[in-house]
Amino acid sequence: MSTLQRLQMPGNRPFPPRVSAFTRPFWEALGEGRLTSTRCQQCGIVSFPPRNLCRVCWSRDVAWLGLATHGTLYSFTRVHVAPGAFREDTPYAIGIVDLHQGPRLMCRMIGEVDTQHLDGPVEMLVLQYQDGPLFGAQVREPS
Amino acid sequence: MRRAAILGYGAVPVGSYQRAPAGTEVLEHELATEVVLQAAQMAGLSKEDIDGVVVAHPGDHTRQGYFHTFLTAHLGIRARATVIQVLGNGMTGGHAFDIALQQVTSGQADCVLSVGVHFETGIPTAQHLDYSIRLTGDVDFQSVFGAVPIAWYAMDAQRYLHEYRVPRATLASIAVKNRDHAIANPLAQFRTPITLDEVLNARPIVEPLGLLEVPGRADGAVALMIVSEDMARASGRPYVLVRGRGFEHEGLHQISDQPGDALSYASLQGASGRALTHAGVSLEDIGTFQVYAPCTIVEALGTEALGLFARGRGAAAAAAGDTRFDARYPVNTCGGCLSRGHPPEVTPLYDVVEAVMQLHGRASGRQVQRREFAMTISELGKYNAALVHILEGKA
Repeated sequence: MSTLQRLQMPGNRPFPPRVSAFTRPFWEALGEGRLTSTRCQQCGIVSFPPRNLCRVCWSRDVAWLGLATHGTLYSFTRVHVAPGAFREDTPYAIGIVDLHQGPRLMCRMIGEVDTQHLDGPVEMLVLQYQDGPLFGAQVREPS
Repeated sequence: MRRAAILGYGAVPVGSYQRAPAGTEVLEHELATEVVLQAAQMAGLSKEDIDGVVVAHPGDHTRQGYFHTFLTAHLGIRARATVIQVLGNGMTGGHAFDIALQQVTSGQADCVLSVGVHFETGIPTAQHLDYSIRLTGDVDFQSVFGAVPIAWYAMDAQRYLHEYRVPRATLASIAVKNRDHAIANPLAQFRTPITLDEVLNARPIVEPLGLLEVPGRADGAVALMIVSEDMARASGRPYVLVRGRGFEHEGLHQISDQPGDALSYASLQGASGRALTHAGVSLEDIGTFQVYAPCTIVEALGTEALGLFARGRGAAAAAAGDTRFDARYPVNTCGGCLSRGHPPEVTPLYDVVEAVMQLHGRASGRQVQRREFAMTISELGKYNAALVHILEGKA
């Protein structure tokens, strides 16, 4: 699978995620430029975020897989009144992205994003902060 | 099956109580005292009549912990059925009502006090949002991006305008309609008239929604006296009978991870259908709807999920006046979350108060014509769950 473009972000993550024994592979893969999640080996559903249980069929038999690096923008908003932790970033955009072949996820939107980009192509990114990675997306103009 | 009724209510105007000068604070049990005594007086009941106390969890910003037992002690109530504090996100007040009803219908109690106080205005907005991003998202995979609660509704709005080609002003008109209603509601937080231009030109909060399409910071307090149908009838006073109840949780937290329609508010479809069946009435019998809607878009989508209007037509119907108090489907005659005000943990209790006032014919200036049945709705998440009650007025 292809690796994601890495964008250097200033400082630490505003509200850092926890890392468990189960989610560690996700964050390590992201640090290496790969967006991953889990697929149920019984019913085939790919979930996001990764789950230690298939929420569709309750199978515990889940396996890691790489996700698509591109998708389409389902919706977005720009947040102008923000939590204290995000004061430095305000205003910032977040969006709902449907990856090619699924799943759907929510993430930070980097760069220009407007209503004309809805249903348009986006590219996933690694947002590299000093203390670790987050995932994000940016609008990809049709070539 | 025993049925339950609302025999009394008390409420303070929604506003700022916690944001007081240092040294002169308003305390949560002091405000509760006011509304409990109002409700008891209206019902003609004394503390000896009260078998149980159900308290809406006051949220994270009140000083007093274990508020339910503290308040029960403050009021000197010796409860025989239950004393409990309930929590369910924006549905908290809905649960406080619902659990009180269940105490009565199950025969555990003849009279239950359902009461809630919500304080948040003493806490700076940024600090409040540091707390609330943990509530409406996966803290490790969504909250990390700063998804404030109303950001999810804002993304619904953006999608709705795009998918159904709805003009921005059409959606914004819901805020004007709600303000028109609130002007006539003495319990409302915002009662000065607003224009559509003011809504459209308000500073952005979560795009495309501006300041007048999202709820303001608010405190509030409400009490209800819930009694058995027999007790209500014997009182000789007007009461409201609870005829139906429906609930559904769609098994999602905010959004599904499977691409598809995120605007159907399927939990409300399910819960409202169940409530109507339980009550033995049809949607057309309902004369007024209290729809939990923190933002304009939520009211549009809520009315569509109920089946009042076709998908994509809710905003246009509101803009055409179809949800005004004097129209066919009155929605949020109190002014809704946007203008009546939105102290989240007690918003559903305020909605019950408005429904009772309408059914009793006491909603001067915003009184609906058909006052046989009312529907009240509370929700949690992004309508991941809905709780619906159908109320019937009894003279």
